Amino acid sequence: MEFDIPLPEELELLEANSHFYEEEDEYLNFEEPPYPYPIDGDEEKEEERVAHKEPHVRQSESSDIKGCKRPRSLISDPIVNLDEVSPASDKRSKIDDNRVEIEDEDWLRFSPVKEVVHVMEEEEEVVIPQETMLSRYASEIDGECFPITAPDGGDRVYAKFCRALGDEEVNKLDVKDKSNGLIKDPISVLLQQSEKEAFNKVLQASSEDQNETISAETSVMHEKLWVDKYSPSSFTELLSDEQTNREVLLWLKQWDASVFGSEIRSTTEAVLSALKRHSTTSHHQKSDSAFTRKKQFNRWSKESFGYSKNAEVSNTNTADINDLWNKKSKLTGPPEQKILLLCGAPGLGKTTLAHIAAKHCGYRVVEINASDERSASAIETRILDVVQMNSVTADSRPKCLVIDEIDGALGDGKGAVDVILKMVLAERKHATGKENVENVKTSSKKDRRTAPLSRPVICICNDLYAPALRPLRQIAKVHIFVQPTVSRVVNRLKYICNMEGMKARSFALSALAEYTECDIRSCLNTLQFLYKKKETINVIDIGSQVVGRKDMSKSLFDIWKEIFTTRKMKRERSNDASGSGAKNFDFLHSLVSSRGDYDLIFDGIHENILQLHYHDPVMDKTISCLDGLGTSDLLHRYIMRTQQMPLYVYFPSLVIPIHRRVAQIQKPMIEWPKSYHRCRTLLVEKQESLRSWHHKIPPYIGRHLSIKSFVEDSISPLLHILSPPTLRPVASHLLSDRQKEQLAGLVMLMCSYSLTYKNVKSDPVLSSLREDAASDALVLALDPHLFDFINFKGHQFKHHVLALAMKQVLVHEVEKQKILQASGGKSGILNKPEIKKINQDLAKKTNAAANESQRTPVTSKPPSVSVGTATTSKPNSSDVKKASRNALNFFDRFRKSRKDYEDPEDVQNRATAKRDSRPLLFKFNEGFTNAVKRPVRMREFLL
Amino acid sequence: MLWVDKYRPKSLDKVIVHEDIAQKLKKLVSEQDCPHLLFYGPSGSGKKTLIMALLKQIYGASAEKVKVENRAWKVDAGSRTIDLELTTLSSTNHVELTPSDAGFQDRYIVQEIIKEMAKNRPIDTKGKKGYKVLVLNEVDKLSREAQHSLRRTMEKYSSSCRLILCCNSSSKVTEAIKSRCLNVRINAPSQEEIVKVLEFVAKKESLQLPQGFAARIAEKSNRSLRRAILSLETCRVQNYPFTGNQVISPMDWEEYVAEIATDMMKEQSPKKLFQVRGKVYELLVNCIPPEVILKRLLHELLKKLDSELKLEVCHWAAYYEHRMRLGQKAIFHIEAFVAKFMSIYKNFLISTFG
Repeated sequence: MEFDIPLPEELELLEANSHFYEEEDEYLNFEEPPYPYPIDGDEEKEEERVAHKEPHVRQSESSDIKGCKRPRSLISDPIVNLDEVSPASDKRSKIDDNRVEIEDEDWLRFSPVKEVVHVMEEEEEVVIPQETMLSRYASEIDGECFPITAPDGGDRVYAKFCRALGDEEVNKLDVKDKSNGLIKDPISVLLQQSEKEAFNKVLQASSEDQNETISAETSVMHEKLWVDKYSPSSFTELLSDEQTNREVLLWLKQWDASVFGSEIRSTTEAVLSALKRHSTTSHHQKSDSAFTRKKQFNRWSKESFGYSKNAEVSNTNTADINDLWNKKSKLTGPPEQKILLLCGAPGLGKTTLAHIAAKHCGYRVVEINASDERSASAIETRILDVVQMNSVTADSRPKCLVIDEIDGALGDGKGAVDVILKMVLAERKHATGKENVENVKTSSKKDRRTAPLSRPVICICNDLYAPALRPLRQIAKVHIFVQPTVSRVVNRLKYICNMEGMKARSFALSALAEYTECDIRSCLNTLQFLYKKKETINVIDIGSQVVGRKDMSKSLFDIWKEIFTTRKMKRERSNDASGSGAKNFDFLHSLVSSRGDYDLIFDGIHENILQLHYHDPVMDKTISCLDGLGTSDLLHRYIMRTQQMPLYVYFPSLVIPIHRRVAQIQKPMIEWPKSYHRCRTLLVEKQESLRSWHHKIPPYIGRHLSIKSFVEDSISPLLHILSPPTLRPVASHLLSDRQKEQLAGLVMLMCSYSLTYKNVKSDPVLSSLREDAASDALVLALDPHLFDFINFKGHQFKHHVLALAMKQVLVHEVEKQKILQASGGKSGILNKPEIKKINQDLAKKTNAAANESQRTPVTSKPPSVSVGTATTSKPNSSDVKKASRNALNFFDRFRKSRKDYEDPEDVQNRATAKRDSRPLLFKFNEGFTNAVKRPVRMREFLL
Repeated sequence: MLWVDKYRPKSLDKVIVHEDIAQKLKKLVSEQDCPHLLFYGPSGSGKKTLIMALLKQIYGASAEKVKVENRAWKVDAGSRTIDLELTTLSSTNHVELTPSDAGFQDRYIVQEIIKEMAKNRPIDTKGKKGYKVLVLNEVDKLSREAQHSLRRTMEKYSSSCRLILCCNSSSKVTEAIKSRCLNVRINAPSQEEIVKVLEFVAKKESLQLPQGFAARIAEKSNRSLRRAILSLETCRVQNYPFTGNQVISPMDWEEYVAEIATDMMKEQSPKKLFQVRGKVYELLVNCIPPEVILKRLLHELLKKLDSELKLEVCHWAAYYEHRMRLGQKAIFHIEAFVAKFMSIYKNFLISTFG
């Protein structure tokens, strides 16, 4: 940005015109903060003195201190608004009214104007010099300006807007830079800058002259990259999308409140009411002058004045908008999303935008990029430095952290993301923990000391969907950069070419821009390269090797889209068909091969290909596509097995026939290939459940059961057997003998296959299948969920399902059976002889055993032994009562015992009697440590 | 306990189905030293039963006392040590395991366990054999490396260790291993044999089998003895006494495949193919091996096809099955077959009906 330096003539003119001071006094005072500051008496005195000394030069400046006083007189002086640039004419009328009253005050209050800035600096240190410019022509004034007409002569001059500075606030960081969005630097700096620039220009020019005359070598040394040389230095020069630029700026501005301490300048209620009173009187004038001013803004920069324009609109228009704007701008805290994430393709100017915007808002940019150290600890200290500390050095502007290429280094870069996340989340927690009555959204912080993140952080990445950024994406404000329009890029390129004295036709430039996909950096580098070679750019160059093509890998979705759509290129159409075909081939081939990841690409093709709408009456295309996929699968497997990686080179060519067959003009809906992986994970899951079940089955059964073929040929009959339709859920004593037998068999079966029913949450699919259990909240399902294996989607489920009551009975029985097995299983085999010995009264004993094992399993050791034997498939048909039955009648005994529960005392007695009659109770369990230990008297051994 | 397990022959003498093989095996182990054995045959034909019976023949009743162990190995493979875990089934004289569960590290398992067995070689007491037996299941799933490493180990430790390999198809077992083993093919039992077994079971259970009922079950069983007995028991549970025309409940997945087949006959379009894909995924998820799906699908299709198409369809089924075995993603190939069939069928329809 270049500033006009006030020429001596202009200054003189100003002096000459200085007798219409009063108006200007008023007009230039709109910068005052909404709250009154304590007034320093000394200063006032001093100013008074100064004012008396130079009473005639008062047209522009007033310090903040003065301004602070203003609100008191606001009601009488409506012009004094903060941000809104109230039109001059409007004010003038007002002033004419109260001229008399105001006069003495104002004369006292307003500091004299300094045309020459350093004079002012000498006189009062507190007041920071401001740029003031008056001119006859609006075009000569850089920035906002407004017209002033002299009351007597009717001369019209344009005065530059300047700002007042709050220098008193100790807690505010930036003294110089309470930026109004107009100019961030004081005039002195600007003057120096422009001087320097001019000097440099001259220097450069002279050095160029020298170079030309002396040698080419020095020029090489001096020459900067064009990219750096012409990188935008102000907001207006940015090439990126205006919308984005403005939003970034807005976001940064939202930090002003917390960083600089000033609220975003908004109209206070008092001002508003005053304004409302007068707006009716001078509405037409207002709008008129607003219009002219707007035009001037546009000339300078549209973006940077988003605020003032907004404010202006709100003032000149209705109070509703005013309120709205106030609400918005009156947030005391930092913006809702504390992190800004800019993403976009390389060369679009993300970094530039971040820097420029931050500089524009008065921040000092601290950049961390991929080349810096990226370990978590190192980055944490740096971030904390930036975000929480104030520099004591001269450059006391608050810092703005720019983390460039945050997606770059996945492993280490994650450190940065983590640190930021931690800070933001900590703050959130804090904010929500505290009572925040006003509104949750702003999460405003009263005390900034505890706030971990009190400076804006801008993160820049190329790939928004990098895995490391996933958490960041959720909390950050994301801006996606779009390509600038070709014309914008070309304009800029052309300008640069002109500056460098390079001849380039805009057609060639636009071709270049298109070729590089509007990557300005690469455009500039190419141009500079060509320039150095003393060549002019032409269209043919771009196609040939002159321009380095970036190794761009597109996202998978883009690749799939390319595969499934026919590409229509204007230029290709003009070529003959074969040529375009070859080009297309090349394009697709390089696209796929630069991406790699062939497996996923083919999965994606497989997933989506059948959804396309290609014309295929006899499925020929489908077949050849699927054959292509099959071939890719074979190739992949072969490569994996033989580790012949060179063969990977053939993968991209497999894509092309598929593309040729199915590509359509309309855009397909592309889905991420999920189904294959879902299938695989589900399969593994189910196999795992089967396997774990298989391990639970005792080995003498399980060894014959292979998981592989279990579903194939056993599961359906097994499920049928497990749910016999003849079994009725009635009390066990009501069952017929046959039914009892059946029940006992079923229980045994479930035990030996370690199946049981289990309470599960009623899931909709299942409950719809089991019509009887659907109404019940609790659903008993088989423990290894075998029904899942035959539950195909859309398949009629024909299995009979047991009633819930029946299942409950079964659960109960199976549990009991398990306890019996657990207590007796171990010793069962060893004690066979003993069993034979006590064979005769086994029936009674088992009754007792069942009873006892229910209560005290340990004491019932000997009887349960027989139970264990029974379970190990050695049915002893020694039951007295039901000798006629075969192996399964053991359970009927068991069932009987359940009926005997009503006289447990009797049973207990009998059992103890039996046990006491036993000669020996000592047992050796083959070294198992869980052998039964019980006190045995020596006497018992001696018997 | 299921009848399948209950009436499984425990000794070689009681074997009904492969009686001749059982007798030969018996002779083999009782008269002379037993070589390495490779049992192969389709599932449900009785390989495992024969192996168990054989072990019992060798070691007596102690072979039946098995315990499940989850064993961990630490294998020192050059620069690194590999931790492996596998479930084994072992008695005092034999170890049984499925090495393919260890995935690509299966060869370490094979070597390690054989070495270990060779180390603590049993003392040659009277009446006991001087060797242990290692039963390896699913040898065809073993990786090539494991099979290669197996062949040397087999020879080296043959004095103390015998291997019994068990697999479905011997074609995936390398020639080297096949030549070191006595190959025993256990073919699927014929229907008559199945009927015989079913009648035996029915007699033991004292059930009345109606005329031809057993034959019907045998016919539906796909020549798998296990399935036959299971469906007999299912019938018994569902409806007893049997009636001659009682419904023998089919396997659910087979019905599902039949549904797919009807779908394919009904409409031939990419859209239908997409639906079929979903169903095939369903089957695959539920642990049905893809080869079985393809085979069954062909079976169902052949039932409905005109005879002039059968040959072509069979050819393509074989073609795609071959590709499927070479490849990894079964769904690609099954789908390709479905598409091919649709195309053939549609062409056929167009040519016949215009």
